[in-house]
Amino acid sequence: MLTKLLTLLILLTAAPLHSQDCVNCLPGYNPAPILPVQPWPLELIPIQVPVYPRNSRASFCKRPVDMVDTIVLHHTATSSSASAQDINRMHLNEGTAADPWYMVAYSYLVGAAYPGDSRPANAVIEGRPLDIVGAHAGSNVFLPMTDTQRQIWDSGQVVCGRDGEEFSVNNTLVQNGRIKANVTTIGVSVIGNYSPRSISNPLGYNRSRPRLPSVGTIDMIARLSCQLQKKYPNMKSIKWHSQYHSTECPGTIKNVVGQIKTKAKGYGCDFN
Amino acid sequence: MRFQLIVLMFLSANAFSASDKEMDELFRKYDSVMIGHKVELIDEVFTRKFLESAGGKKEFSEGVKELPKSPLKTLAAPKISWKKGLKDELWLAKRAESSDKKNGKDVPSGNQFIIVKENGKLKIDGTMSDAE
Repeated sequence: MLTKLLTLLILLTAAPLHSQDCVNCLPGYNPAPILPVQPWPLELIPIQVPVYPRNSRASFCKRPVDMVDTIVLHHTATSSSASAQDINRMHLNEGTAADPWYMVAYSYLVGAAYPGDSRPANAVIEGRPLDIVGAHAGSNVFLPMTDTQRQIWDSGQVVCGRDGEEFSVNNTLVQNGRIKANVTTIGVSVIGNYSPRSISNPLGYNRSRPRLPSVGTIDMIARLSCQLQKKYPNMKSIKWHSQYHSTECPGTIKNVVGQIKTKAKGYGCDFN
Repeated sequence: MRFQLIVLMFLSANAFSASDKEMDELFRKYDSVMIGHKVELIDEVFTRKFLESAGGKKEFSEGVKELPKSPLKTLAAPKISWKKGLKDELWLAKRAESSDKKNGKDVPSGNQFIIVKENGKLKIDGTMSDAE
């Protein structure tokens, strides 16, 4: 087992990981260096961990990862050639001067070529660390808490603040016994646009040629989800953005959630 | 010297600002392309980078022509809300209208338009989903 793991590590660190093209970069943008893959756990899929610029003036919330029970699928609605750094950069432009965003809103980004395309290379990239509450399911969506989540909340382990300041409990995260969806979920977003072209979605697919996630993309999401469940057994559900509020996101990705769960089962996981 | 400096500051401020009028004009042209199929305006509406990421100007034009066409005279002025990006010289805009009908109900696309200045003119540079 150890030899296998070592071999895999050597292979992964020797090969070029992901050449990030700058087709979709903003003017003056320089791609950040790609760091070696995360050492933990390599059984199912390697995860790239870039260093992202963050907004130190922004407030954000921290949680124990055991608070998370659901993986929520998204698409970025960008072109598939956008990079994780592009998404981070766009999210740093979000919010208001008084309440700016801290960093990329999703916990993971899945870089994926459209079916029939060879670029960009497939890759799973870490976004916002898992212990930082994301901004993806809708800021006004509240969900019932499980017993475990209530215990964690009651123990004051979900706290908010700014870098360099003291963190404290923010009671606006809970309303009528329900907690903000972003606290108990993580966002996994496939880079690309999986909705039909429309007046509000010029980068969408032509209706005569619907765009579904490729087999490789489905497999990457299944591997990532299963890998997360193996480390954090409370993550038991896979859902998608439009189950939380009215939106086209994640387009046709919602049509393959059953396939993702079946694949994950093949890797030894069980999602409802 | 001081006068020159003031003029320079005025010019550079204008180069990085956008007005409601400019934004309205951009989205009127955008509707002309997307709804009126006036594909000859594509270069005035979208950046080069956008067109590259959409598979090239020719492919994008062909895709536009698959959308339902309406006479431009019947189009209402697009309702746009927009804000300046906090970090970069870009603007994030959203249409007030919903995009598609699903089960008889409107489903908002949830997309924001990313607008930048290219050669001094506002153009659509991309879209982004509604994370929050």
